[in-house]
Amino acid sequence: MSNNSLQITDLHAKVEGTEVEILKGLTLEIPKGEVHAIMGPNGSGKSTLSKVMAGNEEYEVTSGSVTMDGEDLLALEIDERSRAGFFLAFQYPHEIPGVSNANFLRAARQARLPKGEEIDAIAFYKEMYEKMDLLGIDRKFTGRSVNDGFSGGEKKRNEILQMMVLEPKYAVLDETDSGLDIDALKIVSEGVNAMRSPERGFLVITHYQRLLDYIIPDVVHVMADGRIVKTGGKDLALELEEKGYDWVTQELAPA
Amino acid sequence: MSTAIADPAVMSAPKVESTPWLDEAPRREVSEDLPAWYLDLQNDAWKKFLDTPDPTRFDEEWRFADLKKLRFARLNPVESASAPSSIVARAQNDLTEDYAAHFVFANNELIHSEIKDLPEGATCMPINQALEEHGDLVREHFMKEERSLGGDKFAALHAAATLSGLFVHFPKGCVAEHPVVAHHYVGGELAPIFPHTLIIADENSDVTVMDNFESINEGEQSLAIGVVDLIATNGAKLQYVAYQDCSDTGAKHVQINNTRVGRDAQVKSAFINLGAAWVRNESLNRMTDNGADSQIFGASLATENQEYDQRTLQCHEAEHTTSDLLFKNALYDKARTIFGGLIQVLPGAHHTDSFQTCRNLLGSEEAEANATPGLEINADQVKCSHGSTSGQISDEEIFYLQARGIPAEKARQMISFGFLNEAVQRLDNKDVEEYISDKIDAKFRELLA
Amino acid sequence: MEAVSIDQSEGDFSYPEDYAHDAGTGLNEGTIDYISEIKKEADWIREFRKKALKVFNDKPMPTHWASEDLENIVFQNIRYYLSKGQTPSRNWDEVPDDVKETFERLGIPEKERKFLAGVEAQFDSEAAYSNVKIELEKEGVIFVNSTEGLREHPEIFRKWFGKVIPTGDNKFSALNSAVFSGGSFIYVPPGVKVKHPLQAYFRINAENFGQFERTLIIVDEGAEVTYMEGCTAPKFETATLHSAVVELVAMKDAKIQYITVQNWSNNVFNLVTKRGLAHENAEIRWIDCNIGSRLTMKYPGVIMKGRKARGEVISIALANDGQHQDTGAKMIHAADETTSNIVAKSISVGKGRSTYRGQVHIPKHLKGCKNNTECDALLINSSSRTDTYPAITVRGNQHATQHEASVSQVSEDQIFYMKQRGLSEGEAMSLSVNGFVNDLVREFPMEYSVELKRLIDMEMEDSVG
Repeated sequence: MSNNSLQITDLHAKVEGTEVEILKGLTLEIPKGEVHAIMGPNGSGKSTLSKVMAGNEEYEVTSGSVTMDGEDLLALEIDERSRAGFFLAFQYPHEIPGVSNANFLRAARQARLPKGEEIDAIAFYKEMYEKMDLLGIDRKFTGRSVNDGFSGGEKKRNEILQMMVLEPKYAVLDETDSGLDIDALKIVSEGVNAMRSPERGFLVITHYQRLLDYIIPDVVHVMADGRIVKTGGKDLALELEEKGYDWVTQELAPA
Repeated sequence: MSTAIADPAVMSAPKVESTPWLDEAPRREVSEDLPAWYLDLQNDAWKKFLDTPDPTRFDEEWRFADLKKLRFARLNPVESASAPSSIVARAQNDLTEDYAAHFVFANNELIHSEIKDLPEGATCMPINQALEEHGDLVREHFMKEERSLGGDKFAALHAAATLSGLFVHFPKGCVAEHPVVAHHYVGGELAPIFPHTLIIADENSDVTVMDNFESINEGEQSLAIGVVDLIATNGAKLQYVAYQDCSDTGAKHVQINNTRVGRDAQVKSAFINLGAAWVRNESLNRMTDNGADSQIFGASLATENQEYDQRTLQCHEAEHTTSDLLFKNALYDKARTIFGGLIQVLPGAHHTDSFQTCRNLLGSEEAEANATPGLEINADQVKCSHGSTSGQISDEEIFYLQARGIPAEKARQMISFGFLNEAVQRLDNKDVEEYISDKIDAKFRELLA
Repeated sequence: MEAVSIDQSEGDFSYPEDYAHDAGTGLNEGTIDYISEIKKEADWIREFRKKALKVFNDKPMPTHWASEDLENIVFQNIRYYLSKGQTPSRNWDEVPDDVKETFERLGIPEKERKFLAGVEAQFDSEAAYSNVKIELEKEGVIFVNSTEGLREHPEIFRKWFGKVIPTGDNKFSALNSAVFSGGSFIYVPPGVKVKHPLQAYFRINAENFGQFERTLIIVDEGAEVTYMEGCTAPKFETATLHSAVVELVAMKDAKIQYITVQNWSNNVFNLVTKRGLAHENAEIRWIDCNIGSRLTMKYPGVIMKGRKARGEVISIALANDGQHQDTGAKMIHAADETTSNIVAKSISVGKGRSTYRGQVHIPKHLKGCKNNTECDALLINSSSRTDTYPAITVRGNQHATQHEASVSQVSEDQIFYMKQRGLSEGEAMSLSVNGFVNDLVREFPMEYSVELKRLIDMEMEDSVG
């Protein structure tokens, strides 16, 4: 068990209340300071992996472990995982009508403070504005309801802003590139790259190699049928792009 | 269903005595071979009719209704219509552009039938004949709905009476492009008719039926009580239109549609009211299996002293069911409309989408529109809404059309027509849609000339 | 910011009973004689009460349209009048110790100093404290309890007493008319604009008690007032009844804003009739928040009697486990160019049930009337329930009405999303609920909006256990 990585060991998970197993013994380690990418065809279990790590109750972990710097992530509640430093950028971020972005972020930050300690509102706004500027987000944005009426690109940018404000130890980006045009993709990638640090690990889940032109991964994993079937350097993504996912399902998938 | 706010007048109102409309069930010898279960059903229904009190102001289902209009003088026995050939000719001149089959009933008797283009396997015959030839199917579905939106006394009389009307069965995969049309005529002072329509659409079938209710003569008092059973299962598409243009002065018309939509099936049903002195429409829609969809439309043009009283229920009993209701009323003179609608999402019917809209266009100072759009929600992940508006054509709208060279009077006609026609356009059958649009257009030309 | 106390747990305490006057349990003519004698009432009031008792007895329970829970009220087990024999004092130091401590614990004197123009504090059947700022008194503003109002100012109050809400309006208005005690009588003379709110606070201390305050507010031509009321009761084992009648009269060009934050404990049946009469160009606005009680039935109304009169109801209801909030609004248009607006939001949590009932009536021969109604319901948890029953009648072609209603819920996905950002389930639900009512809360005076938010936070924290 590493005290300096996000470590997934032989993870099995099924859809809650059924016998449908989606993760079938997945093992993966993301050391701090590295960016790992998972690629895989639709239905390989990529999004399930991110939800299981975050604690979504639609899935049940039947065996295996997930530790974050040595701490058992699976033993924590959803919000405890978040406060412990785990962040998930959602593939489909949810709308929260009536709740402004500023209030939401403030509440999330407040939740990280010890009881009785109040957030410094002025410092908080200053910091939020700086990060918004970095992502090219208009100031009016703070008063709008979370994701309510946002375009696909705005939602994804908002996910990155939340990540920047909450400063997690490990972040999982679930298909953050889907639905983005090239300009939005560049902005989102710049945001992620600005967050890269020796103190932080990333797992970027994507269906397309394109994102990895902007967020250069240290390690690329290929996932199929609930397992990692191949691991390599950033060139693996290009190889995959060239050969297509049939290559994975036919040649790499364990029989 | 409870929707009232305490009204002292209601609480102290005296009970209305039930008037005997008839001494015996309105029956006539149609066949010696009616099945025993049906004769039992008729006898039970007659008892129920006698035991059920007339609606009172205490009844939430009759809120806002002018109960005086419900007081019937004694009804007369129905006699065969005279000059049936001229009635048939009239009906044939009043048909959709194309049709699959055409039936004409006058005073509860079949006087004409024509099968033009029915798909193989489909059955379309008078309900009395079906009682003998398709007894099991009729027994399974005939008036099986136990809930009522207030008209149970009318439904009981209907069940007790000798019926006319159609039995339509589209088995698996049967598809008809054109509608089945039935004309129902009523004539003679204080004559009652009881048209029944039973439509069964099985797996992936597609059928459209239009009933057309009219008076033989203007100015006569008459009563039509129509009950419709609509059953669609397993991906079937069923469309049903009750089109009514009875005598404005004497005709009373009760139309009760009971709709049951099964898995992935869709029913579209519509009420078109252009005539009669008093109308009561009830549309009870049950989405009983996952993926069921019911769409209910109404377009009514009420003038003079007409009262159109419409009550609807969209009851969601299974997951991922949807329904959408749009009722549009145009009112003139001293006409009144009442819309009482309820969306009910039962426990467990998660992921339901249900909508309900009633819009009133008020065209005179004394017209009155009442609306009680209700919601009862008992499940999760539900999207439900209702809306109700009333208003009139604005001067700006008229001005806009005038600015394009259209005279004010014509502009008013066009806007009014468009208002009602919006509901008609939601139907999926070109023949029926055109037929109704033309009728509405003609009415407005006459009214707003 | 400190605000008016409306927190149920803060209200969950009581003092030993020590009453000089107790009408005993049950209701009959003797009860009325007892109340009338203690209050030294004029004969016409005693007659008014007795007539009302007959109406109350004759009227059936409205269970044919309302909740059957009403059947659980046992009228013969209720105590209809309890008082310590105090006359309301203008000085907190003269208030009996336990009563004074009660209101101090609820923070009333402190708030009075901070932002109120006048306060009346009622303890069971009678007011214990009643005071209005001296400047207002000089301008002719009357703010007294109803007993005193009827006795000292019959020339002002008798004219409108029972006129906006007749005794026989419904069973509970009849009950109130028979046994009313306490409540505020307010008169604001022409042109006087009362800048700070007047506040009433209603406290039930005794078990099996029924509180029947009667409030009448008359605001003369061109005058303005804001009135706020709050309430609490201890959590007793048995049911308690609160049945008030509130009548408002806004003369030409007058404005009344009436704010209620109802936070009775969950054993109180809260059956209240509230209605205002708005004359020409007058405005009556009800802001009605129902958080507490076992069953609330309350549909504030406005009769727009004069040309260009305006009526508004802003309603927030929160129904938690074991609660039924049956609320709504009545808008009766009775003159040309009158406009009304209803915005109602309800939240059902756990096994809670909320119901909206509305009535909008525009009769014939009127011109230029407008109504807008919006009611939105939020469901949290699959066992909660929400119903919406509006009724709209419009006659004539010179009006516009619009009604929109929707139901939505806090979905599991939404909660998951917020929890992933580190919020606890309770915090996530509070945030969603506050977001849902946000636009309405902005309409409140600051002191109340802060308090309401805090109250919602507490309810949501409790609901997730």
